[in-house]
Amino acid sequence: MNVDELVRDALREQAAGPMPLPSGFADRVLAVRRRRRNRTIAGAAAVTALAVGLSVPALSGGGEDVRPASEMNKSDIIAHPHQSPPRDMIAAGDTALAAFYVRENDKQSNGDVISKRVYGLLDQKTGKYRKTRWAFLDVAPGMRTAAVLEDELPARRIGLLDMITGKVDRWIPVEHGVAGVAFSSDGEKLVATTYSKNPDRNFADHPQNINGKDVPGPLPSRTGFSVVDVDSGKEDWHRAPYWKDETGWSANARDDFEFSHDDQYVYADIPMDPGREYYDLEGNKTGIPAAEKHVSWAEAGLSPDGKLVGGDFAGDGDEISSEIVDSRTGKRITTVPGQQLLAWADNKRLIAWGCDPERCNGKNEFRNQLLLITIGSDKVVQLSDFRKASDDYPGRWVPLFTERRS
Amino acid sequence: MDAQGQESFREFVAGRSSALLKTAVLLSGGDRHAAEDLLQNALIKAAGRWHRIDEPEAYVRQVLYRQQISRWRLKWRRREVSVAELPEEGTDDGDGAAAAELRLVMRGALARLTARQRTVLVLRYFEDLPEADVARILGCSVGTVRSTTHRSLARLRALAPELAALGPADAEREPSRDYSPVEVRP
Repeated sequence: MNVDELVRDALREQAAGPMPLPSGFADRVLAVRRRRRNRTIAGAAAVTALAVGLSVPALSGGGEDVRPASEMNKSDIIAHPHQSPPRDMIAAGDTALAAFYVRENDKQSNGDVISKRVYGLLDQKTGKYRKTRWAFLDVAPGMRTAAVLEDELPARRIGLLDMITGKVDRWIPVEHGVAGVAFSSDGEKLVATTYSKNPDRNFADHPQNINGKDVPGPLPSRTGFSVVDVDSGKEDWHRAPYWKDETGWSANARDDFEFSHDDQYVYADIPMDPGREYYDLEGNKTGIPAAEKHVSWAEAGLSPDGKLVGGDFAGDGDEISSEIVDSRTGKRITTVPGQQLLAWADNKRLIAWGCDPERCNGKNEFRNQLLLITIGSDKVVQLSDFRKASDDYPGRWVPLFTERRS
Repeated sequence: MDAQGQESFREFVAGRSSALLKTAVLLSGGDRHAAEDLLQNALIKAAGRWHRIDEPEAYVRQVLYRQQISRWRLKWRRREVSVAELPEEGTDDGDGAAAAELRLVMRGALARLTARQRTVLVLRYFEDLPEADVARILGCSVGTVRSTTHRSLARLRALAPELAALGPADAEREPSRDYSPVEVRP
């Protein structure tokens, strides 16, 4: 036998038989890749932060090689029609319930009352909603990161929370106090709404009369907004004071900005027509972008492809329905059996507050649950149970939806 | 990588990982943990350009080989290789047992080669590739492949005296005079 023949035989013998890899090896590879990429991004962020004099801790981007719960369960519809408030992740199409909150009044010794939020935030390790005490939060597309603000608002830094570990990876210091944050649709930017006072605080020395009784009242104090680059932590602040009419009246203390559908503008709702005021990202007040001309106050807004608008309530008599509008012409295309359109699951389906007609028969609009409704179909899928309070969440919960894939 | 890309990547790993791991184990001299690291790094590179790769398996294999060579060139800390204990020198109770014993001795000797030497032998004798293909994969000259093969076989004999009685390989009969250094493209 020659030496090369023995080399060949020895190698083949060593490679003989099955050689299985640990299960989930592909996911381990993808997780490590993500983590390395995030480290690279964080490295770049640290360099930029140094240049602008900020301190940005490293972003670990997942902490551990754990797949987010939302990637473990990719079912088109994940419904929990017996849960309210929800305990386990709810999702439909491209959208998931990333968090929800209830309001809790916190009376202060000086007579002020702070209307605090108690959040249930999706824990990506378990796929369950976990009670958190952040003063405000928004979840990035892909549901790996949440931007969080601490008590008491306005906050001086924005936290980027890893939804797998539940810990803040980085803090982004801000020059102007922030009380609201919202991610852009690509997750690369945040619009942070700045205030001089806590918009959730009702002031005893600024009372409002409700049912003939003076109670602590809100104090509008919005100063503007910052567009924050998530990677670098760099922010550009622009003055944009709170809306008021010619008599000086203002409806709300909290008037947060959000990004427009194409991320080119930011807008805040106003209580008068046309319902929204827009600014470009340089801080210039603009008109309504053509694509959003027919967007109503309904939260769903434009469909992902921008062709349709989830419109306002359109019910008549006992009928509970909302309209779907052509975004180009503003004309009603059809109605769907939803009471309040909250988010698009994809271009044909919406998540709405409503009541399965078979269970409600059109009665009692306050008896509502999350439904998945399909344009052009009577079929309704119950995503949650009817809205009610629990010991952990004492109040009517308000959903926050996010794109579940990045 | 989008959801669809991730799905096809998972399918590829599920279908081909066993074969790829075998190659990685051979390249690592039988060190299973080192092999998994090697394969993981190759797959990470593949995942980064998943949509642009026409032949994923060929790509991953090429990365595996080149990584091994690069590791050697960069003088990365060499991992301690644990090999199965060699059998005690015993009685020759038949040709089959003697051959099996020789294969084990050879396996132990292969584990003690440098990564570069082992990679060339795996490509030549396990993958059965001609010298020109090995040179193309490793980004070096044919002469370098030939001289490395020659020196690797000689080293095996030196490492295990039991192999001294074996006949010379073709590569040993015509030693190359090309001693140019290994060139690896980045």
